[in-house]
Amino acid sequence: MNILTREELRKLVGEWIAAGKTCMGPVRVKPETVLFARLAKAGDLLLDGWVRPANSIKELLLPRHEVLYGYRIEKNRIELVDQPETAPGQIAIGAHPCDAAALPILDKVFNWDYRDEAYNRRREATTVITLACAGWDEECFCTSVGLGPDAERGSDAILFDRGDGRFQVRSLTEKGRALLGEGQGAASGVADPPPARFDPAQVASFAKEHFDDAFWKEHALACLGCGACAYTCPVCHCFDIVDEGNSREGVRARNWDACQFPLFTLHASGHNPRGEQGGRQRQRVYHKFYLYPEKFGDILCTGCGNCARNCPVGLGVLPLVAKIPHAEPV
Amino acid sequence: MPNLYKPDLMEVIGVRQHTPDVKSVSLRFQDVERARRFTFHVGQFGIFSAFGAGESTFNICSSSNWRDHIEFCFRKVGRVTEALWRIEEGDTVGFRGPYGRGYPVEEWRGKDLIFLGGGIAMPPIRCAIWYALENREDYGQITIVYGARTVGDLVFVDELDEWARHPGVRVVRCVDPGGQTPDWSGEIGFVPTVFERSSVPAGNAVSLVIGPPIMIKNTIPVLERMGARMSDVYTSLENRMKCGVGKCGRCNTGPVYVCKEGPVFTFQELRAMPMDY
Amino acid sequence: MSGGNGFEPRIVAYVCNWCTYLGADLAGTARLEYPPNVRIIRLPCTGRIDTNLVVKAFEVGADAVLVSGCHPGDCHYTAGNYHARRRWMLFRDLLEVVGFDMRRIHFTWISAAEGKKFQQTITEITEQTRALGPYRPYEASGAGVAACQPALACGAGAFACQPAPNGGAGALACQRSQTQLRETAARLLSEGAVKVVIGYGARGPVFVTRPEEAARLVWNESCFANLTTYLKRKEVRALGKPAIVVKGCDERALVALEKESQVERAEIYSIGMACQGMGQPKCAACDTRQPRYADETIGSADAPAPPPTADRYAALDPLLRQPPEERLAFWTAEFDRCLKCYACRQVCPMCYCERCLADKNRPQAIDSSPTRKGNFAWHLSRAIHLAGRCVGCDECTRGCPAGIDLRLLNLALAEAAETQFGYRAGMDPASEPLMGAYSLTDKEEFIG
Repeated sequence: MNILTREELRKLVGEWIAAGKTCMGPVRVKPETVLFARLAKAGDLLLDGWVRPANSIKELLLPRHEVLYGYRIEKNRIELVDQPETAPGQIAIGAHPCDAAALPILDKVFNWDYRDEAYNRRREATTVITLACAGWDEECFCTSVGLGPDAERGSDAILFDRGDGRFQVRSLTEKGRALLGEGQGAASGVADPPPARFDPAQVASFAKEHFDDAFWKEHALACLGCGACAYTCPVCHCFDIVDEGNSREGVRARNWDACQFPLFTLHASGHNPRGEQGGRQRQRVYHKFYLYPEKFGDILCTGCGNCARNCPVGLGVLPLVAKIPHAEPV
Repeated sequence: MPNLYKPDLMEVIGVRQHTPDVKSVSLRFQDVERARRFTFHVGQFGIFSAFGAGESTFNICSSSNWRDHIEFCFRKVGRVTEALWRIEEGDTVGFRGPYGRGYPVEEWRGKDLIFLGGGIAMPPIRCAIWYALENREDYGQITIVYGARTVGDLVFVDELDEWARHPGVRVVRCVDPGGQTPDWSGEIGFVPTVFERSSVPAGNAVSLVIGPPIMIKNTIPVLERMGARMSDVYTSLENRMKCGVGKCGRCNTGPVYVCKEGPVFTFQELRAMPMDY
Repeated sequence: MSGGNGFEPRIVAYVCNWCTYLGADLAGTARLEYPPNVRIIRLPCTGRIDTNLVVKAFEVGADAVLVSGCHPGDCHYTAGNYHARRRWMLFRDLLEVVGFDMRRIHFTWISAAEGKKFQQTITEITEQTRALGPYRPYEASGAGVAACQPALACGAGAFACQPAPNGGAGALACQRSQTQLRETAARLLSEGAVKVVIGYGARGPVFVTRPEEAARLVWNESCFANLTTYLKRKEVRALGKPAIVVKGCDERALVALEKESQVERAEIYSIGMACQGMGQPKCAACDTRQPRYADETIGSADAPAPPPTADRYAALDPLLRQPPEERLAFWTAEFDRCLKCYACRQVCPMCYCERCLADKNRPQAIDSSPTRKGNFAWHLSRAIHLAGRCVGCDECTRGCPAGIDLRLLNLALAEAAETQFGYRAGMDPASEPLMGAYSLTDKEEFIG
């Protein structure tokens, strides 16, 4: 179909939920907080107007907590317990282009020589239905990193809000067609793209050439070293591996982790290569704008602005790189 | 589908204590078929599990020529190593690996070998020494300078004696000033100083230098004075790791992931990297 | 509601070594039978029994928990049980607000001579718990995240739902204060009196080190953050003696930090800003609009601060009206969203430990995973660690990316502190720290 009304879309979502699929979409969990969350019912799906959820859909591919396997200990014998290898179908509805583009970007590191099959299983089982952006705010900078309000990268289908309670539907992949049929809807109601705010090549070059610059220390003073930016970022993917259990049994799991925590690089000897917040802030920019493009050809940032919106002290990628000398847009 | 993070189960076939806080462990794969097919390059590392406590990263400190078991050596400093400290023969630990880039031992053929190590850094050198001795004709003069803070901190001491008995092998051991015992017959001084005193020709040599940052910092100028090229001086970086397979981001140091592009680097490569390690 | 066929409750008893444990021993040697359902865990003193141990027992499946030690006055370490008693008084209030079933948490004093009392206590608790049935507080359903329904009488949305008080006494007053602030900063820096001025900038905190940059400082209705948290940051301390811009509410943190020896008051130049309210929920109930201990106050000569318009703890009422099961369901939904980003901890001026308990792994007292159990353990621990110390700046709530109503936890403990002890954090520099002190007359009706 080329057109879906809001009610029809909600009805579809209800059917998907009833069929046992995990559906994730924007939910207003507090009067001023909208998050991507698993939908208990289709009615919770927020479809009105443009709103940027404070988190991302990466939970579908890399859960905040994922059991890798279990273990049972009996005297000196260990038994490892595998996790089920099936991934239930997952559908993200109402993702933004900056959320969808994260998936092909993350694919690269999770398949770099070693293939992370748990990630791949979930990736395969995930369909992303993107809602093109009818608006943006001053924290958005998708156009600075090669995306835009109707970018299609990573999406299986894209919806355009016509503003009259109906969506144009464009299916982009087999997965999209499997859910929404052969839609070839035309673009509609897409916001004018935000102006480019900086040149990522200049940022990469600054990070590489000015690694020890006082810039990082000075601009990281306000940073309190939490993980709000990394955890709400669609592409940050660093993780920790922990054992949790008792002396008889437990699980080995991976949890989200962030380079902003001082413990991230602390050696057993006590040496910490990034013992100061300036080095940790620099790492974020360096990894996203220099290292990831060098290794994988993609900037590890989709310009969603979540980092800046969630930062309690007004930092974030855009506020930081905007201060880099000569990083003005080309 | 193989689970990337799931370890092999290993049987502990031997535990050796070297110092009050250092032990080395010999392991054998429980799965005989896996044992048969397992190979690694000397210098690679593994991630070893004490189930219930966690995983920790150690160099595989046995020679890659030894087909029946692997070894690792650790100092008891934290939660995982405290759990590993309690293991005995017959216990089970986990092993994931081999990971990383090992020593380019084929490129080293025909060269003299200089091994410089400090304290707990001996194990990642030990595997290379055994490898070289087992392929003796491939390498020239072998010089080993190994030191620690005190006599009691030296590890694999019996093997030092054994290496010295091989032809063309010179072993110099030293302790920091004040770390000697009354019957100490080795050198007294820091490794870089003792090494410089030993007048080892470095022109046709490949060096492997592993130790605490201060030792490395002071050894490089000595090597340069002795004619070594930084592209012929190797080290193995210690780094905080978790996954070992280039995904979790923890070991990302400047432009490299130590678990994938390292842990073995030449000093020429290290110099091109920012001081992020 | 009664225990099903064959249900045998699992009771965990944390007991002190010198009294209750010996009392249990005496019960044994005197052949006094008590049910085998209890698992006794011996610690040196009730003073050492961390609140997270109580939570941990429920995490691993206990149906009831007993904490027991020496009678007041008999503590082997003199005052350990007095500290414990005060801790329990506050922790009980926290657990009640979170919706734990308080019938499953028991506190007693049992001496080494009271073998009979030990027998009776264990028997009663076992019978009671058998009748109540199994306790699985972490297994509430979590099928999906519900959308906010402000019509529900719950604490949800208390942060954002409250109407902004009439805060603005005029943009003009703010302008005057801003000008004066900039002049003060420039003067302090050029005189060398301080090395850095920590203040509000257009977008977030600024650290002004040169007099000519004083214009970066602003003073307006967006200055609601609490900047005292920067006094704990080593990168900021390295800059040298600071001047810090504080509102009256922020200043409470300075008082609290000095009380805990975290700052040398003489080493900080405090620039107090009289505040008309910033439109935040905390502002409606604020009674510290004027700084009280600043080295220099700006703006106090302006229009007098309006009195508080709300009861300090009113935000708790909707939550407290709910029965425990609904409270627990509310907090389960809140904590299920927690990512363990620790923004709450990092922004908090009172969370200054160089290495937080949650980051330690020998032992791992609080699970680091963002699971339901791990999240409950974290938030309960943090809340009780802040009892009597939290100054109500609400930065934790503002900083949380998942919209968790953390301020309700802190409010609950602040209310407990004020109701039970007449104590408010950061108000009186001369008062003793709440959890660090004890009184021989602390109430103990809840202790058996």
